Amino acid sequence: MKNKVPLFLLERPSSDSFIPGKGGLKISFIEKGIHHLADVIKTGYIQWETASSDNFFQKIDARVKILFLLFYIIIVSLKKNIPSEVLIGAFVFVLTFLSRLEIFNLYKRVLFFAFIFGFLIALPSALNVITKGEIILPLLHLSKPYRFWIYQIPEEIGLTREGVYGVLMLTSRVMNSLALSFFVLYTTPFTEIIKALKVLKVPDSFLMIVTLSYKYVFIFAKTIEDMHLAMKSRLAGKVSNAEGRRWIAGRLALMFKKSQQRCEEIFKAMLGRGFSNNIKFYGVKKLQTRDWVASAVFFIVGVLFLWI
Amino acid sequence: MTGLRALSFLLLEFYFYGFEVIVKDIICLKGISYSYYDKFPAVCDISLSIGEGERFAIIGANGSGKSTLLQIMNGLIGQSSGKYFFRGNEVSEKTLKDKGFLRFFRERVGYVFQDSDVQLFCPTVLDELLYGPLQLGIEEKEALDRAFEVMQILNIENLKDRPSTMLSGGEKKRVTIGSVLTMNPEILLLDEPTNGLDPRTQVFLVELMLALNDAGKTLVMATHDLSLVDELHMQVALLSEEHKMVKIGPSDEILKDEDLLLSANLIHEHVHYHGEEIHKHRHSHFLFHKH
Repeated sequence: MKNKVPLFLLERPSSDSFIPGKGGLKISFIEKGIHHLADVIKTGYIQWETASSDNFFQKIDARVKILFLLFYIIIVSLKKNIPSEVLIGAFVFVLTFLSRLEIFNLYKRVLFFAFIFGFLIALPSALNVITKGEIILPLLHLSKPYRFWIYQIPEEIGLTREGVYGVLMLTSRVMNSLALSFFVLYTTPFTEIIKALKVLKVPDSFLMIVTLSYKYVFIFAKTIEDMHLAMKSRLAGKVSNAEGRRWIAGRLALMFKKSQQRCEEIFKAMLGRGFSNNIKFYGVKKLQTRDWVASAVFFIVGVLFLWI
Repeated sequence: MTGLRALSFLLLEFYFYGFEVIVKDIICLKGISYSYYDKFPAVCDISLSIGEGERFAIIGANGSGKSTLLQIMNGLIGQSSGKYFFRGNEVSEKTLKDKGFLRFFRERVGYVFQDSDVQLFCPTVLDELLYGPLQLGIEEKEALDRAFEVMQILNIENLKDRPSTMLSGGEKKRVTIGSVLTMNPEILLLDEPTNGLDPRTQVFLVELMLALNDAGKTLVMATHDLSLVDELHMQVALLSEEHKMVKIGPSDEILKDEDLLLSANLIHEHVHYHGEEIHKHRHSHFLFHKH
């Protein structure tokens, strides 16, 4: 072996010191993206940790929580005035506070999604072109009204009172639904949610897809992070954006191949352990007094919300 | 000006950390700690020095922090606290942002990952071997020469056009080592190099490592393969399951200390039958049974 070692491996570096480079290296967009991906794992750990803690809502059985979620989302969708939505929102906020969740982080996400999927998407419907009514904020004045097929564009275009109310209504519904969903997700370990869904007769194939996808997200994030570290260990300079894009394109193809291989291996492992299209769970506990009391309280509060 | 700066830096180093760091040690860790997600401690207050041309092993049970320590040594993750010096220069996330230092560091320190799959990200084996030298700005002809010479020593010439997804475990390991060797690093950091390899490939790797060490390369490996540590007669750092340094010393001394290995979960109590008689003793896959 000794004789075979190539000559270049016997060469020593010319110097033991270095010449400082001009200017620092900026963090590439790949690095930033990978850090976001690593956050997926961190968020997963935080979710698991908060869901497993011993606080108010965490102690309640997952089946009660899932039914609570469904019941309250129906209530949120049925209510037709903003004050009721605000009341429901306040109720969820109090529950979040009692369960000692990180309120800022939870509501940051809720507001972000509610702004995009509730407010921005619905905003055009506040115009009098779509929702007729009293204009409270004129935006554009045309020389004359236009008619096109079944559509009519009036002379004055602006936001109507009815339209704005509709947008606010939709935004508050989206916000409340998201706050409820995040609240249940942050207070219930993932496995408990799946168990509860199984008990509530959700089809096995659906549960299987959800479980495997959830696990794969973590494996995927870890693999990408490791691949990036491997590349970093062989990089001696800045990665240009073009090189970065090429690297990502190559990695996507490779990840696709690896995912395919992993999928086949997982399926074989499942078959090897006797998988037969059914998910079997153990340790489904009986509901305790605490769960029954919580169910009754949530039901009564829910009916009150429907009534007011 | 640069010489003056280097001299003042050396004097400062000498003042703070003593003569050993500047002259002898190629790697020096002082009180290194790291936690994953700021929640799970991976290494706690680790201090060690590695000399030039040394064969150094970091041993410990699964989850003791061996791989994390190796990744810190390669500057892939930044320590939460403590200082890391490479040839007397501090290595941190900040210093690695300097283009000159990054190049100086990367061309001298090579890292072989435990999971070969994550390290092989180029379309073919040849691309894999060329990636590092081309990144270092070595001319294409020389990079190609290096790649072919390395393929020859690793017996993988027939694989040069194959994609990494079509290689066996042993072949992947050879290619990952090759991909680092073409950069001609001074130090090779190897994470569980013999893990999951057949005996013949393991023997091949041991011979390769000895040859590289004879050629002047410093070898640092994280492993729980005690027979490998014994075969290579390494300097050993033993990590506990609490992620702390238990002891540093020559392999002869550490591997003899059964109580120490038992406390670090590297050997275990073993029960088996001799005919009708139940027999219990300490066992490892390295030590001979003592009856």
